[in-house]
Parts: sequence; C-alpha cells; structure tokens
Amino acid sequence: MLSHLVIGQALYFGDSLFYIVTFLLLMWIIKIFAWGPVTKMMQDRADKISNDIDSAEQSRNDAADLVQQRQAALANSRSEAQTIVNDAKTNGQQQREQIVTAAQADVQTMKQNAQKDIEQERQDALSNARNDVADLSIEIASKIIQRELKGDDQKALIDSYIEGLGKQHES
Amino acid sequence: MNGDPVSTFQFLGLTFSTANVVSGLIVFALIVAVVFFCSRKLAMKPSKGQNFLEWLIDFTNGILKGSIPADDVGKFGLWGFTLFFFLFLSNELGLFIQVATRGGATIVRSPTSDPIATLTFSLMTMMVAQFAGVWKLGYKRHFTNYLKPFVFWLPISIFEEFTNFLTLGLRIFGVIFSGEMLLGVIWDLAASHGIATMVVAVPIEMAWQGFSAFLGAIQAFVFVTLSSVYISQKLEVEE
Repeated sequence: MLSHLVIGQALYFGDSLFYIVTFLLLMWIIKIFAWGPVTKMMQDRADKISNDIDSAEQSRNDAADLVQQRQAALANSRSEAQTIVNDAKTNGQQQREQIVTAAQADVQTMKQNAQKDIEQERQDALSNARNDVADLSIEIASKIIQRELKGDDQKALIDSYIEGLGKQHES
Repeated sequence: MNGDPVSTFQFLGLTFSTANVVSGLIVFALIVAVVFFCSRKLAMKPSKGQNFLEWLIDFTNGILKGSIPADDVGKFGLWGFTLFFFLFLSNELGLFIQVATRGGATIVRSPTSDPIATLTFSLMTMMVAQFAGVWKLGYKRHFTNYLKPFVFWLPISIFEEFTNFLTLGLRIFGVIFSGEMLLGVIWDLAASHGIATMVVAVPIEMAWQGFSAFLGAIQAFVFVTLSSVYISQKLEVEE
C-alpha cells in the first residue's frame, strides 16, 4: 500500500483532509454529548465527596463536643447532688442537736420550776401552819384562860414553843 | 496486497481512497453511537454507560498525566480521549470486518493500516505540540527552545521533529498493516486446499486476531503516550 503512495497514480491527500475534518468533528461531537457533561459530573462528584468528607469531619467534631458537654454536665450534677445530700445531712445534724439541746434546756427549766414550786408550796404550807397554829393556840388559850392577852406577846411565846417543838421533833 | 487495485474517487480536485473514507466514517459513526448512548441519563451515581465513559476518560487522562504537567492536562483531555478512542477502534475495525469489492479493492479495513491516515494523526500531534508550545511559552521562548542547548543544535532539533512525526505515524501503521496482511495470508492459506487447511488455519487465524486486537490496543496507547510526551517537551523551557 505504501507503493501506492510512492509510485501510485495519485497521492490521495484528500484522505488526510478527510481525517482531519472527521477528527475535529468527532472531537466537537464528543465534547457536546459526552466530554462536557461527563467531566462536569465527575467534577461535581469529586466536589460532593470532598464536601461530604468535610461535613462528616465537622459533625464528628460536633458529636465529640456534645459528648464532652454531656459528660461535664453529668459530673456537675453528680457533685451537685453530693453537695445537696451533704447539706441535708449537716442540716439534719444541726437540727437534731438544736432539738436535743432545747429539750434538755426545757427539761432543766421545768425541773427548776418544779423545785421552786415545791419549795414555795412547802414554805407556804409551813407559814400557813404556823399562822394557823398561832391563831389556834390563841383561841385555845383565850378560851382556856378566858382572859385577854396581848396578841404579840402571846405570839412570841408560841413561836418559841413551836421552835422548841420542831427541835424536839427533829431529834 | 501490493498489487491490489485501489478504489479512488475525485472530489473537489482531491483524490480520496474509498476504503479510507468508508472505514473512517464507520469508525466515526461507531464512536458517536457509543459516546451518545453511554452519556444518556448522567447521574451522580453512575450507571453502566456512564461508568464506562468515566473509566475511559480517567484512563486517557491518566496517560496524559504521565508526561504533561497536571495543571495543563485539562486542556488536552478531550483531544487525548478522542485520539485514543479513534485510534483504538480504527486498529480493531479491520480485524473483524474486511469488505472488498468484486474487483478486489478493499472498501472496509482498519483506517490505521494506511500510512496516510496514521501520518495525518501524527501530523496533528506535531501541530498540537507546536500550538501548545506557543500557547504556553509565547513565540519567542518557544522557538528559542530549538537553539538549546546551543545554537548549532538547530538542525538536529528540526530533524528531530521530522523523525518524531515519521516514527509516530509509521509505528502504528506498521503494526496494524502487518497484522491485517498476515490475517489475509492466513486466510489465503485456509482457502487454498479446502477443508483440510481450513481446520488448521482457522485456529491460527483466531489466535492471530486475538493477538492483533491486543497489539491494536497497545498501539493506540503508545500513540497517545508518545503524543503527550512530544507535547510536554514543548511545554517547558529547555535548560
């Protein structure tokens, strides 16, 4: 076939032109139908993939942050709960002590009051008895002796008598 | 094949070879069909056809990336894709379909088994390389590249352009042409003595077809690779 080129009747340069035109036309058609859209799609896909990778990284970081926040919040609430329990405990302790102290003080006061009352009663009873005895003895003496006596002299006399009686009673 | 008649026709004062025009149109139509049907319904999640196209685009881009700087690959991607696809189908076409007229002139065969076709593509590569050099470096720096490493290198540089042009075109032509010629020879052998030779020759023919298909793919790949190398040489200033 090379011989045709060299010796042949006519060199078919037309083919050369034909192939160049065909090739350029083919390039144009491929560009319109396939190359343009397909490469654009490939580029879009590459962009999308890189975006996806970026956003995945982003959301991973967000999730990690969130976990940290949650953990911090959890630890915080735990310590808060601990504090609340501790406060309640100390409060309870204090109240218990206060109540006990108040009760003790009350008891003390009541005891003292009771003792005082008892003492008072005793004194009252004693002085009443003393007066009654004096009056009674005056009445008896006036009835017996039938004579007017000076109340004060008589009372001093009876007091000394009763004291003597008490001493006799104690011994 | 040398004595075979060649069917030609005249158009606009130029001589055309019928075989080249018809085969070229067949390849053209095949590529348009494949590309058209594969690029329907493009989606983010690619389907079958789109996968194939994307794989092919990645493949040819990969070839270009082998030698052309990554920033400039995008400019030559379409060219490399079309060139590879066209050459590949051209190489394979004649292995499966060969049509001849009654007079013996072939009408359909591999377009690349004709040097005029391969040298046309080779010439296109050289012109793309020249344009790329001027586009990237400007006229002055592009043409002073021929004077490097020293001024007397100029004849060798110019000669190198011609050898590149010839070797690039004739390599692919030689492989495809010889492959087809051997196919013809084996077929003649098969037909020579009836059924006996047919039984022997058909497996050989099939094996050779397979091997030629492989060679055709390799040659298309080599052509695009070397083209990108020649272009990349023009894209940088020689030291």
